[in-house]
Amino acid sequence: MKAIFALTMLAALGCATPAQSAPSNTELKIGISQEFENFNPLIKTMSATSYMFSLVGRTLVSLDANGKWYPQLAKSIPSLANGSAKIIDVDGKKKIVATWEIIDAAKWGDGNPVICEDFAFALKVARAPTVSVGEKETYTLVEKIEADPKNPKKCTFTYEKARWDFYQLGQFTPLPKHIEEAVFNKYGKEKEGYEKNSNYSRNPSLKGLYNGPYVISEVKLGDHVTFTPNTYFYGPPTKIQKIIFKLIPNTGTLEANLRSGTIDMISPLGLSFDEAVAFDKKVKAEKLPYEVTFTPSVTYEHIDLNLDNPILKDVRVRKALVYGLNRQELVKALFDGKQEVAVHNISPKDSWFTKDPKEIVLYPYSKREAGKLLDEAGWKMGTDGYRTKKGKRLSLVFMTTAGNKVRELVQVYMQNQYKQLGIEIITKNEPARVFFGETTRKRKFGAMAMFAWVSNPENSPKSVLHTASIPTEKNGWSGQNFMDWSNKKADLLMDNLELEFNPVKRTQLVHQILKLYTDEVPALPLYYRSDTTVIPKNLKNYKVTGHQFSETNEVEKWDLNGTILN
Amino acid sequence: MTTYILRRLIQTCIVIVILSYVCFYLMTLMPGDPVDLMVSSNPKITAEDVVRLRKLYGLDQPSYVRYGHWVSDLAKGELGYSRTYRVPVAVLLGPRLTNTFILSMTALVFSLLIAIPVGIVSALRPGSAIDYFFNFFAFAGISIPSFWLGIVCIIIFAVWIPLFPAGGTQTIGGPELGFWADIADRSKYLVLPVLSLSLQQIGRFSRFTRSSMLEALRNDFIRTAKAKGLSRQVIIWKHAFRNALIPLITILALSISSIFSGAIITETVFAYQGVGKLTYDSIIGNDFNVAMVSFIISVAMVLLMNLLADLLYGVADPRINFT
Repeated sequence: MKAIFALTMLAALGCATPAQSAPSNTELKIGISQEFENFNPLIKTMSATSYMFSLVGRTLVSLDANGKWYPQLAKSIPSLANGSAKIIDVDGKKKIVATWEIIDAAKWGDGNPVICEDFAFALKVARAPTVSVGEKETYTLVEKIEADPKNPKKCTFTYEKARWDFYQLGQFTPLPKHIEEAVFNKYGKEKEGYEKNSNYSRNPSLKGLYNGPYVISEVKLGDHVTFTPNTYFYGPPTKIQKIIFKLIPNTGTLEANLRSGTIDMISPLGLSFDEAVAFDKKVKAEKLPYEVTFTPSVTYEHIDLNLDNPILKDVRVRKALVYGLNRQELVKALFDGKQEVAVHNISPKDSWFTKDPKEIVLYPYSKREAGKLLDEAGWKMGTDGYRTKKGKRLSLVFMTTAGNKVRELVQVYMQNQYKQLGIEIITKNEPARVFFGETTRKRKFGAMAMFAWVSNPENSPKSVLHTASIPTEKNGWSGQNFMDWSNKKADLLMDNLELEFNPVKRTQLVHQILKLYTDEVPALPLYYRSDTTVIPKNLKNYKVTGHQFSETNEVEKWDLNGTILN
Repeated sequence: MTTYILRRLIQTCIVIVILSYVCFYLMTLMPGDPVDLMVSSNPKITAEDVVRLRKLYGLDQPSYVRYGHWVSDLAKGELGYSRTYRVPVAVLLGPRLTNTFILSMTALVFSLLIAIPVGIVSALRPGSAIDYFFNFFAFAGISIPSFWLGIVCIIIFAVWIPLFPAGGTQTIGGPELGFWADIADRSKYLVLPVLSLSLQQIGRFSRFTRSSMLEALRNDFIRTAKAKGLSRQVIIWKHAFRNALIPLITILALSISSIFSGAIITETVFAYQGVGKLTYDSIIGNDFNVAMVSFIISVAMVLLMNLLADLLYGVADPRINFT
């Protein structure tokens, strides 16, 4: 059905002509295809909400498009080197004390200053057992926040552990205490009482809830959000006077909405990759006033191998699977070469990335090498074209999310490649809800599970590679080491990584982990995804980041007064 | 008749209670609860977080206990809280139900206004050129998938000839324009979805009308009416159409019962803020409170509309009694 739908769109839009003029700084309408929830920064979990939240909410630090941390609400980032942070010893336990100073001009949308108490209040709310904050790690890492009695903008943060990444509090957003404290005091003791009655839920257009370059003037869940400039924003004044995010759930109609002028651009949370590639061709052929951008991201598309599977327990078979897959040809054939072949779980956008053959094990395509390894493992080619061992066929179940066209294409490609090696691939796809909610989480995926990991640069791989992160019934199926990969040396390296303050030594530790990861092949790296957007040609200073700290963190720089270049 | 209605209403309530528990229980059997879904999308959620969230959401309790809590909240007039959108269900569902009602009702009325005359004309001239012409369009309407039709409508009337908006429910800021301007604005957004929904319904209803009318026109009393010298209009409307109404009432009641359930494909293609997609997403996202309220509305509508249909049979045909 989806294929017919796509064909209809392609055929019909092939004859379509653009019906609109270039947008101006008066208004910009951005199309997204993912749902959003209310904007309470402590509770939000949806990608679209986080994406839009940066227009209205700023925090102490953020990550730029080059993967560098920079201060947002803070004057500077504390560090051991400049003396604004220090390691202290409390009862034999090492902790960090850091001083954060909030910039003087930082104010909420109602003119009240952003102060340390707003951060301390956010900490108090997030820690309350009645508030359904998803992961509390961000908040439990900070033990306490104290304000300087003489300067309410000078805060002392005490961190529970002496970790090198203590300053990475990009998700720690302040809450306007002067507005939200009354709600918390009244309803905070009831189960989910605070979030149900919070102004973010009941009165989302209250200006004082936001401290970013914009405030929300209208929210219609399931339809749109309208942003207008925050007159009290501490940074440079915004150039665009109104930004509207419009939800168009069907990605197939995004293009029609763009051409008809319902929207002016499509965010990275819009088109699927194949749709973006197809539209890019049309933009060039028809000379449309748009630019389709492809930005490498930190998203790592790969296949987790189930190491409980008796066939995959043999590392030679796993290595044969990587050698036997022509990934270079795959990205060229399916993605027009616009996505890069992955070598491991760390993307080229990350300063920890390496593809140095001295540091990691690389697997260039070699059908001969793959066949040799399978022969060594005892899997002999039969007359029917499939390999067997002790009468059993080399057959692997390959699962992914049903209905994802790109993944289904990759599956077909791989099925064909492995057939040539004598490996039978049986595809068994499931709806995303079942696949992620049950199958991968409980490691019920037979042999191979294809999906993607999204992370930030310099992010500890502990949650996906450490032995303690193998989901089991005992730990409530938490952790995301779905492969069941357990390597004591890698565990130790990951534990040490958290405590290593020297960036050079940290990189060395990561490379040692990568060496073990690439040598033991618990997963098949496929490609690093690219984020795609469609922007009007006159939009300037719009830089897609490719990671979780999206380009909306620099929305105040966006300018539609640029000259259209054809 | 009062006893009959009361008896049916009591039966309706019992069926709603039984079906609501069955639905609630079946939802608990679906793989992955709300916390599982959070865990799968956030690697930083720890085992402690899982235990804490399960307890907070009441997911650590058996389904009948959870159902009991839900029913007791409902009895107090609390529809609950959407864990997906983080807002009260009433806030979320209210405007969408209104939008869906407007869309579905407009499409239904529009379809009936066209389908009934078309069906009657076809039945009065079976095998004629006009009958073949209407049949062709009726079958085309029934056969064309609504998503395809929706796309074609967008391409033609929003991109090629920009007469109507490609998607949405109303212009952003529309309500500020004043009551009538808002109505006019909303109507503009309704045209394409209504057109897309109606073509299928017109095909269906006109076929039903045609066959019912043909059946009615074959009866002896029609021949008698003609022999009595009654006018053509009286024969068609008073004798034939009234007798043809019973099967139409059945199909109409079923159509009205789905008026609050939403047309998921049409709503998605036209980014129309209705209840259909919300219900689907709430089931997929394990948003129990939203899914359950939507379900109750659907079940209640089906049962009540069937009751209404039974009552209308009596109006259409006085021979039917309710003792």
